[in-house]
Amino acid sequence: MAEAPKPSSSVKLVLLGEAAVGKSSLVLRFVNNDFQENKEPTIGAAFLTQKCNLPTRTIKFEIWDTAGQERFASLAPMYYRNAQAALVVYDITKPTSLVKARHWVAELQRQASPGIVIALVGNKLDLAGESQGASEDADGEDGGDARKVSTEEAQSYADEESLLFFETSAKTGHNVTEVFTAIANAIPETSLKSARGPGAAGNANRAADEQRVNLSGPRDAGAKDGCAC
Amino acid sequence: MESLSDTKWDVVISGTGLQQSLLALALSRSGKNILHVDPNEYYGEAEAVLSLQEVDEWAARRKSGDGDGVFASAKVTRSEGAESLSPRGYSLALAPQLIHTRSELLAKLVSSKAFRQLEFLAVGSFYVFQPSSAASSSSTPSLSRIPSTREDVFANTIISVKAKRGLMKFLKFVLDYTSEPQTDVWKPHAGDSLASFLAAEFKLDADLQAYVVTLTLSLDGNITTEAGLAAIHRHITSMGVFGPGFAAVYPKWGGLSEIAQVGCRAGAVGGAVYMLGVGIKDVQKASSTAEMPEGALDIVLSNDMPVKSRTLVKGLGQPARESRRLSRLTAIVNSDLASLFEAVSEGPTPAVAVVAIPAGTRLGEDGVSTEYPIYAMAHSSDTGECPRGQCVLYLSALASPNAQALLEKALSSLLASLVVEGQESPKSLYQLYYEQIGYDTPSVDVDGQSAVFSSLPLDLAFNDSVLDPVRKAWELVMPDVTDEEAAEYMIFTDREGADAEDELDN
Repeated sequence: MAEAPKPSSSVKLVLLGEAAVGKSSLVLRFVNNDFQENKEPTIGAAFLTQKCNLPTRTIKFEIWDTAGQERFASLAPMYYRNAQAALVVYDITKPTSLVKARHWVAELQRQASPGIVIALVGNKLDLAGESQGASEDADGEDGGDARKVSTEEAQSYADEESLLFFETSAKTGHNVTEVFTAIANAIPETSLKSARGPGAAGNANRAADEQRVNLSGPRDAGAKDGCAC
Repeated sequence: MESLSDTKWDVVISGTGLQQSLLALALSRSGKNILHVDPNEYYGEAEAVLSLQEVDEWAARRKSGDGDGVFASAKVTRSEGAESLSPRGYSLALAPQLIHTRSELLAKLVSSKAFRQLEFLAVGSFYVFQPSSAASSSSTPSLSRIPSTREDVFANTIISVKAKRGLMKFLKFVLDYTSEPQTDVWKPHAGDSLASFLAAEFKLDADLQAYVVTLTLSLDGNITTEAGLAAIHRHITSMGVFGPGFAAVYPKWGGLSEIAQVGCRAGAVGGAVYMLGVGIKDVQKASSTAEMPEGALDIVLSNDMPVKSRTLVKGLGQPARESRRLSRLTAIVNSDLASLFEAVSEGPTPAVAVVAIPAGTRLGEDGVSTEYPIYAMAHSSDTGECPRGQCVLYLSALASPNAQALLEKALSSLLASLVVEGQESPKSLYQLYYEQIGYDTPSVDVDGQSAVFSSLPLDLAFNDSVLDPVRKAWELVMPDVTDEEAAEYMIFTDREGADAEDELDN
């Protein structure tokens, strides 16, 4: 007999942060190991999925992009709903983006499920002169250190609010996988359930699947995974 | 990014009510430039859900008898114990509606793939309230569950065998009521009341008539045979479509509001720009340009930003027709009222139950009779609208001078019928009363490059005719659609990554 398969759980992760800090680029790097210079503002993906293999379990992230709805503070409650993790991103070359990030953290603490795991991520580390991940091509732009937010400042804020904290470069890939692995590890086992679909886990323990009406398939009622396409 | 004022918008949509949001969904793959604004700070307009905190602000601005033209006479009453309610733990729906499983709305949500972001809950039993009466042995009011399938009728022990026969005959008749020879039977009585038709043709007694009329959710209780048969047909044929034991569903977290949010998100994912807290201040028609030969609309937003758009679609228009008022009383109850939500078959646990108090029912000790039926939609905490251990009751009745008092009486009578022996009587902790002004049929008023949706009809179940105006507005924004594109209306494939792939692959 084969070993029992590792338990696998879906986790809804939401992205937050000022426009143009690289939210989508981080996800693109994580999901496709890809980076696009001068990427257009996000269009076109409802959410992306990527698995994260831990020694004892597999976490399947459903990563929700803001779809630009953060631009004019128009994110709908359904966006935060049942999110078990959030990536709050700022740009280390832009202090106002950290101010905005603090705002999003407060918003999450107000709106999201109480147990949500929040990671604060300072992106664009490749633009910081000293960075280890940067630089194979200095790009000709200015080559100097464009960093305007110190690691210490962000770290101490993250400590205060009990946030995970990383500095990343979506461009080079530095620290990107690490962020997601750290989030996966930080999600308490108790809040994981092997159920699919946004919202399967966040909401106490009455089996959500028993209540959910499945519109997608032929009516094999009670089937856990109706998605038959 | 180009600034909003420099963009040539194909459409500016104002308001995030259900219809505008479905339009946003319908346009989400069109590649059109879409600016979607809403003067409110929340999504959903008249279909919104509000936290208790939001309700306070909302109600304060709609206290008067005219309110904002859609909602009026709003008043919040907190009972003892209400201090401990956490304002954010509640999402009260302003105009909750059930959605029958055969509704075209669900078909559109499925074909557009928007349904993947929604959780649908079953609407379980329908009950008729039976007042306490000196004549009957019981001294407390009670609820009788309405059997709505043939198996259900068979299993029922209260209805006499003779009455069952009539009811079975009727259920069979309704299933195929639009064919001959059934049409010969009802067409001559199409405009008569359904109740009288049931009595004459099927010998149904008053109790059974009340059962059948309740299933139509008719607001005045005096539905015609033609409309009534259509409503019962919808109910019966919706039974069992997505599982045993239920004919309708309710989207978790506040019903149509959630669908509106999902529609708007689909719009955003497709590139539309969203702004809450921003409305439209002024619209002027500009002369034509090379880019916009039909002439652009010069629109000034409420934040004084000027934008140019080819078309404009708004909501909450008021057609020049007689309107109706629905009195609504929403109550937070300190009990889960579990008996209302028992699953009657192997289907999913219902999260919504419907209780009807038929017209003419005498309520309370002084025995005031109701002029119109009162419907109470009970939502369990599974809807996400209240915390566990509580439930939300949404009562409504056509407005009458004493509607508020009647609804309050109905609430206490209903709670009295749900007392479980040996337990404390359930009681209401918080009540929100208001009146909603609306119409019977939805419409869209297209005038040149603008379209205005009327508000949703005051129905308790979603009315599919609401979808026609959405389609008309879509045609306004998409003037040059090919037949092919028209045939693909709201039919989309899953977005990249939206998870049709490997389910747990080990």
